[in-house]
Amino acid sequence: MTRIKTLLMASAALSLPAAAAAQAPENTIVTALSADITTFDIAQVSERGNSNIMRHIFATLETTQPDGSIAPDLAESLEITEDGTGYIYTLHEGLTCHDGEALMAEDVAYTFNRAADPDNGFTGNVPGFLFSGMQFEGAEALDDRRVQVNIRTPNPIARGLIAEVMVHCMDAYEAMSIDEAGQNPVGSGRYQMVEWDRGSQVVLERVVDESEAPVERLVFRIIPESSTRTAELLAGNVDLVTNVPPDQLDVIDANPNSDVYIAQGLRRIYVGFNLSDEFAAMPGGDAIQDPMVRRALQYAVDVPSICTQLLNFECERATGLVNPPHNHPDLEPYPFDPETAEAMLDEAGWERGEDGTRFSIRFQAGRDRYLNDVNVVQAITQMLQDVGVDVDLQILDWASTYVPLIRERNAGPLYFLGTGGNIWSEFIDMNDLNSVEAGTNYTHWDDPRWFDGWDVIRDPSASPEEIEETRLEMLRVFYEDGPWLHLYSQPDFYAMSSRLNFTPRQDERVYLWTATLE
Amino acid sequence: MWTFLLRRLLQSVIVLIGVTLISFVALQIGGDPTYLFVSENASTEEIERARALLGFDRPLHIQYLSYVWDVMRLDFGTSLTFRQPAMDVVLAALPASIELTLFSLILAIVISIPLGIVSALYRGKPVDGGIMTFAMIGQSIPNFWMGIMMIMFFGLYLSWFPISGHVPFLRPLFQGDFARAFGNLPQTLHYLIMPAIAVGSYTLARNARLVRSSMLEVLQQDYVRTARSKGISETRVIVHHALRNAWLPVVTMIGLEFGFVLGGVVVVETVFSYPGVGRLVFNAINQRDIPVVQAAVIVIALIFILLNLIVDLIYARLDPRVKL
Repeated sequence: MTRIKTLLMASAALSLPAAAAAQAPENTIVTALSADITTFDIAQVSERGNSNIMRHIFATLETTQPDGSIAPDLAESLEITEDGTGYIYTLHEGLTCHDGEALMAEDVAYTFNRAADPDNGFTGNVPGFLFSGMQFEGAEALDDRRVQVNIRTPNPIARGLIAEVMVHCMDAYEAMSIDEAGQNPVGSGRYQMVEWDRGSQVVLERVVDESEAPVERLVFRIIPESSTRTAELLAGNVDLVTNVPPDQLDVIDANPNSDVYIAQGLRRIYVGFNLSDEFAAMPGGDAIQDPMVRRALQYAVDVPSICTQLLNFECERATGLVNPPHNHPDLEPYPFDPETAEAMLDEAGWERGEDGTRFSIRFQAGRDRYLNDVNVVQAITQMLQDVGVDVDLQILDWASTYVPLIRERNAGPLYFLGTGGNIWSEFIDMNDLNSVEAGTNYTHWDDPRWFDGWDVIRDPSASPEEIEETRLEMLRVFYEDGPWLHLYSQPDFYAMSSRLNFTPRQDERVYLWTATLE
Repeated sequence: MWTFLLRRLLQSVIVLIGVTLISFVALQIGGDPTYLFVSENASTEEIERARALLGFDRPLHIQYLSYVWDVMRLDFGTSLTFRQPAMDVVLAALPASIELTLFSLILAIVISIPLGIVSALYRGKPVDGGIMTFAMIGQSIPNFWMGIMMIMFFGLYLSWFPISGHVPFLRPLFQGDFARAFGNLPQTLHYLIMPAIAVGSYTLARNARLVRSSMLEVLQQDYVRTARSKGISETRVIVHHALRNAWLPVVTMIGLEFGFVLGGVVVVETVFSYPGVGRLVFNAINQRDIPVVQAAVIVIALIFILLNLIVDLIYARLDPRVKL
């Protein structure tokens, strides 16, 4: 149905003369989002579009920059304790929250501890991902302006994770129930919420000087249907659209009042090899236990063609799980070479049988989660079948069926997945596989050449050179014998009105205080 | 009358138990939703804690009985995604759905009844053929396609109507903010026109056909012939004698249609970014927000029950032979 609608939309837009474009309100950026906003509680939010809006309302101690560097925000400085487990932030003077309450160190400590308190039952990204990733122990105010965040063990990615935690004041939140806090944000950021018409729109107004946020008013409209978002942009009612489907890019680009921007995203898309003992006893699961088979299959998939034909962008195939610029500089992407793939499979002992099949294997994927995912997995299936692998493709409902399989590390033996990445640390993308038993090691891969490397990385006495050498060796092992069939980092498609000056980031964060209007 | 109402009340309780049980079982078939509410890095202990917190660690029959007990105390649970009372979330979306439903049905009724009557009176003539062709088209066109075409032509090209969105009227009205409600009204109607046509076109077409066939049947009855032979004007014959009897199947259909449109126009609500109950339930099902789905099912079931009751009462009023 989506394809039919897109076709209709494209043909109608192209066949009609250009409509007189309306103009979105002055000094206001109108952004169209696909998903509903569910909360404004920093401890409960987990969806990217939702947290992007909230980041305008709430400030953070530090902030990650588009180039991967970390810059001060509420904090003017940071010192790390000698044992590497205490992060002491000194706040700027004169900070306040939107209700006028002074923002002190005890407010920051309260924010962190409230989100971590199991009695509150929060299930958002802060307690669920950031705190578990940094092994958060607690936060304490050392004086009015200094707050210490404690973690269990030294952790190379803790600083970046702390920089993601949005901060609010204490008094306002102590006076509210959890339900109320989710609906009435009292923030510390550049904008404050003035309207939330649930299911329709959120309106923010600037509370800082124009130099810190040039645009006075931000409107985030919820428009679930992609063709309607595009129509609103073409009509001039919307300035920015995120998650534009690739098949609508040409329509938008052809309009004189709108432009397309393609950001090379950081979400890593791959086919995983589930190497669990259970799958090793299954058809195909036994074959992929052999690193040579896994390597052979890398040659069987034509990733650049998938990118150009199905995703509408030119991509370079990934060489591992780390995004540039922290990827291994000397590794070349596997070329598409089915003959080499076939020769390697022969050599590994999986020759074609009389029916032309080498082995059968199940390939599972969720539906409608990633860009054109169903078409991509169908293309991969065909390419693997071309080298003699009989693939049983199962496309499953994302929420009800696929997510439980993935979380139980029970998808596969082949499974299709994307995982968010970042560039503010050379270790953040590697962190998915920080231990054999990590919840995100969906592959059950246990190669000691990778996992022992973490001991060196976490060793406070290791030199930077030693750490880097270990890291690169780990990436080489992952490239050659790892549990991923390397694909690509997913692009992010944005559409903008011609009056908007805004450069989207690679990490899906949309921070509009960096934008201006003509 | 009172016996009838009491009987209907008892039937309603059975219906409510049935729909909650069916929806509960249907949602449980989808598996344990706990994984959607914990992070990818969650440990087994964290997953177990979340499962207990969400109440999914108990046996299914205990979960259901506990739910029924809570509902009897008017506690419909807390939304897993909004973290607010589930019924509040549903009731917040209900006014927008009522606006769309009422407007689209009024539009459909006001147009379909004259069309059906004219078509019946000119049976076999070009007017009849034209109206029935129009009705056939109205029933055949998928409402999402009609919605997108209207967006492209009337929204984008002619700029007559807003492409998407909603300006609330009933919500401020229910909140007692009459100035805002009536201040919004022109904008509310402006935003409603395209979605209401997309939603109502099917009802309009079906009702036009229904009125036509019903009228044709009634016009051949003896009492109509008798009325004409008494020299009563044709208008009076049609309005007072024929139409009153032709109404019965139409009233039934409109009653059912109200409930259907209220909760079942997900595609149109999505195309026009309309914040109604249908879209809310669709998202809640995707997110496995079981309390919201259950609360919405109860609300929609109650509305259906109420509508059926109203239809029966109207039936009795229209047709004296019907005894309650």
